[in-house]
Amino acid sequence: MQNFQFHSASSLEDGLDYLAERAGGCKIIAGGTDLIPALRKADLSFSVTRQKSDQNSVSGSGELCKIVAGGGDVIPMMPKNTHPDYVLNILEIEELRGVTETDDTVRIGPTTTFTEMMESEVLNRCLPLLVQAASSVGGPQIRNRGTIGGNIVSNAPCADVLPAVLALEGNLELHSKKSGMRILPVAEALEAPYKTSIAADEILTGILIGKLPPGTRSGFEKLGRRNAMTTARMNMSVVLKLDDDGTISDLRIVPGAVMPVTRRMTDAEEILLGKKPEASLIEESATLMAESIFKITGIRWSTEYKKPVVQNIFKRILKQLLQDN
Amino acid sequence: MSVEMNKTILRMKINGKAVEVTVKPTWTLLRILREELRLTGTKKGCEQGDCGACTVIMDGKAVNACLVLALQAESKEIETIEGLGTPDDLHPLQGSFIENGAVQCGYCTPGMLMSGAALLDKNPKPNIDEIKRAISGNLCRCTGYVKIIDAIGKASK
Repeated sequence: MQNFQFHSASSLEDGLDYLAERAGGCKIIAGGTDLIPALRKADLSFSVTRQKSDQNSVSGSGELCKIVAGGGDVIPMMPKNTHPDYVLNILEIEELRGVTETDDTVRIGPTTTFTEMMESEVLNRCLPLLVQAASSVGGPQIRNRGTIGGNIVSNAPCADVLPAVLALEGNLELHSKKSGMRILPVAEALEAPYKTSIAADEILTGILIGKLPPGTRSGFEKLGRRNAMTTARMNMSVVLKLDDDGTISDLRIVPGAVMPVTRRMTDAEEILLGKKPEASLIEESATLMAESIFKITGIRWSTEYKKPVVQNIFKRILKQLLQDN
Repeated sequence: MSVEMNKTILRMKINGKAVEVTVKPTWTLLRILREELRLTGTKKGCEQGDCGACTVIMDGKAVNACLVLALQAESKEIETIEGLGTPDDLHPLQGSFIENGAVQCGYCTPGMLMSGAALLDKNPKPNIDEIKRAISGNLCRCTGYVKIIDAIGKASK
């Protein structure tokens, strides 16, 4: 890894001070499960460049080729050129960790790990969708380090928890030394793959999610190439509420890992909103959702597979939610 | 704790013993275990959190040592394979791995044992699904996992 200076913030104030002076060249680290491989990848692209200018180094290039080939499917997805001059550790800031609740809101500290989310009594009771999403991430070692805040601010197209936070209409609480505190809906934070509108001098200090009205149901499904330790080929978070007469009064559909930037499928939602969940309408909604997705991504080699699968996952989750009584 | 480009002193507890190591900010926990402290039982595999060969237990939780910056381990308690048992006094899991033929090339074994130990510390009587889930972050390219799962199951009885 290329050299950087390291600072472990002892408090939020300390972290904000440190960041305010170094915003442009500083990366924030929590669990490190995304950042550390990205720093290594930056090294790799650095040595590739160096290698090209040194054609004589046969043994070196042989070794390098092996490393690049062994990169598998994770390295290509990492953002390029992560060369921070400073790395700020926020894992030791006590107030940024843990789950709390008020009468109507759940607050999740950004450095709460996926394991801690799975074990949280509040989340299991109020927002089981987040527990399901968190438990689908990586393996135990990754879940013990990776955090909900990291999953959001990394804004990876293949994120597992981010789509669930979107479906729950989560808000991000951000702090900076210069501007104090602001609240940003997560949907507005997602600008481009691996890029958010969170300013370089801001620290995510909380994820705020309104409790769902009684009777609201939610479902999550993830599709990977294997069961564990897998990057999502596709995932989906759905929130559904039925009125007493069986009319759909709330529906939020967020497919993950199928678009460059995760977003809600509002067109597909509107087909069913205010109606009873009849088979023909569900079919129409699923078709429109697939069309909306492939309008964004364009037709690719994988479309033939993904199109029916994304529709079937949606229909399966919806069927399950409609059966839950 | 602020660190400039040069090295700094890291303090932590490894296998119950307080240690001090001089480290660079870019080093990972894996690097200091293997290269500085010569605790080479912890293996280096993919270095991106996919294979689990470098699994150690940090503050009671299984983590990939390749994904922890050394300086993030400040004041933490680390347990490595060297602390699990000794040749004369094997951890029950180690004995069970030998008895049940759960070791082939051996490269994944330290990581498997640490993931198994982290599981049994929390859940002394895991069922087969819990065992599979506990080692789902550890790759083994030889055994097909069946004997490893068996060995962890039998160690828990």
